Amino acid sequence: MTSVQKKPLRIKPIRCVGTVLKILIDLLIALIFFIPFYWMFITSVKTLGQTLLMPPSFWVSDPQWGNFAVVFQKIDILGMLKNSLIVTAGTLFCQCVTVIPAAYAFARYRFKGSKILFGVTLATMMIPSQLIFLPVYLMFSKWGMINTYWSLILPSASSAFAIFMLRQTFKQVSEELLEAARLDKAGEFKIITRIMLPLARPTVVTLTMLTFINVWNDYFWPLVMTTKADVRTLPVGIASLRMTESGVNYQIMMAGNVILVIPVLIVFFFAQKQIIKAFTYTGVK
Amino acid sequence: MDKITLKDITKCYGKNPPVIEGLNLSIEEGSFTILLGPSGCGKSTVLRMIAGLEKTTAGDVQIDGVSVRDVEPGDRNIAMVFQNYALYPTMTVRENIEFGLKNMKVPKEERNKRIEEISEMVGLTEYLSRKPANLSGGQRQRVALARAIVKKPAVFLMDEPLSNLDAKLRAQIRTDLIELHQKLGTTFVYVTHDQVEAMSMGTDIILMESGKIQQHAAPAQLYAEPANVFAARFIGSPPMNVLSAAVAGDKVSPKVEKIGFRPEKARLMSEEEVPGLRELVISGEVVAREMLGDQTQYKLTTGFGSVSVKDFGDSVYSYGACRIAVPYKDVACFDAAQKLIGFGLLRGDQFVAD
Repeated sequence: MTSVQKKPLRIKPIRCVGTVLKILIDLLIALIFFIPFYWMFITSVKTLGQTLLMPPSFWVSDPQWGNFAVVFQKIDILGMLKNSLIVTAGTLFCQCVTVIPAAYAFARYRFKGSKILFGVTLATMMIPSQLIFLPVYLMFSKWGMINTYWSLILPSASSAFAIFMLRQTFKQVSEELLEAARLDKAGEFKIITRIMLPLARPTVVTLTMLTFINVWNDYFWPLVMTTKADVRTLPVGIASLRMTESGVNYQIMMAGNVILVIPVLIVFFFAQKQIIKAFTYTGVK
Repeated sequence: MDKITLKDITKCYGKNPPVIEGLNLSIEEGSFTILLGPSGCGKSTVLRMIAGLEKTTAGDVQIDGVSVRDVEPGDRNIAMVFQNYALYPTMTVRENIEFGLKNMKVPKEERNKRIEEISEMVGLTEYLSRKPANLSGGQRQRVALARAIVKKPAVFLMDEPLSNLDAKLRAQIRTDLIELHQKLGTTFVYVTHDQVEAMSMGTDIILMESGKIQQHAAPAQLYAEPANVFAARFIGSPPMNVLSAAVAGDKVSPKVEKIGFRPEKARLMSEEEVPGLRELVISGEVVAREMLGDQTQYKLTTGFGSVSVKDFGDSVYSYGACRIAVPYKDVACFDAAQKLIGFGLLRGDQFVAD
């Protein structure tokens, strides 16, 4: 019997170094994104004394879970959570109603002035909200809508960015598919819900996520449009934790922030696959 | 009875000159009608106007004698198979087939019954829960067919449904389609640029070029009596040889501008062979020879252009000088407008056919 001599498995040193380097860089980038979250969390369970330590400590042996209870005592977290949820859900609902048909029309119909209208839509993306908040405020106050949910939902009831993104996705769907659906006696509504939206799912999920984060974290608009605690959203409430007589209680503020970001993290966790798909969209062959 | 009638159809895209102008066409009930022509001749546009996917600029489309100008595509009682199938990618095979039925408000038991029947018929039963992305080309084609058949339409429209398949599968599905047409007895309208497909499947062929109908005839007639030079040159592989009438010298009347003959009607002659009395002889040179087993195809250059000849005999002619003999009766004569005058060479005004 002849024995087959196996070549020893040789690892090329250069490639090996390259792989290690790549992993190290990946780790570094992950750390850069992770550290702020860690810092927020670790601070939220420190005592006031520990938060002021120099050099700062990155570990706490006796976590102060009581800080969270303090947050609940100081502000009406549950009420504000409710407000935030209503405003966010309301905005998302309004955007669905306005964005999807608009994107479909811009992607699939040629009507008089469609190009100009689309241009105008895109142009609104370039106006910062700080520029228009005053006239909007005056308008809302005239209508008696200050301190209502409407003043928070209506200004972002549609989104030029979302219309643009969704239109691009809708444009990629082949015309034959729509023709086949029309021959199958499907109306426009059915075409949108059964054919277009399922195909645009990654984009829809991503847009929902982005809108969710934007509205959820928005501080400026709720601060301007509301004065009463019973319609204020969570970010405004958390920020109010800073305003104490006895200096800033960093640990309490951070505990509030942890409560604020938890819903966002949950949403991101469930949506991440779709988000990656949306940005690496290759289409169905 | 005519199933579909097109009356004085004109179609323009934007402000460009019309692609189709004053087209009249009738498609017989129960026929397998082929719209044949080179790409860009307007055949697909005609099909899409029948389907209602394209509006007519002028003229009227009638199905069963009723104008369908204001009828939505979904209400025309037609089904269409697209070139790249247009299956709904997010739905399973079953949902794809069911989608049209649901929209037509067919009750659930009826839907299930029909889907079962159809999937049995086209051999898709085990793939019903798959998504189109996980099917092969042939299977997708069958889903597209099933989706059309299940609606039990009065007319099937097909837009080059076989062009994305490999040669073997194409031949197989061609046979399947003929069988299907026989079984259902429904009107089929089929668009293709492939004359082999047209000849093998069609009961009626409508040959089109640059928006105009060149000839509307049964395959056999289209082959035997091409209405003009275009039809003669489009049908057959290789197509009819068309040469200047000068090749026949004084054997034709001055009215004849061009003559033509099918490659299989001509034969090659060796140097010593004496041509028959009623044969046209052209001398040329063999430049290419293809042996296909049952026949040999030759390409010759002559003083009047190149000529293809199919030879079914056993003898093989070598490259170099050669003569072609064509019986007078098989020579088609075309006039100055490229229209067919008749067969057989003309002397004076009399045909010299046998």
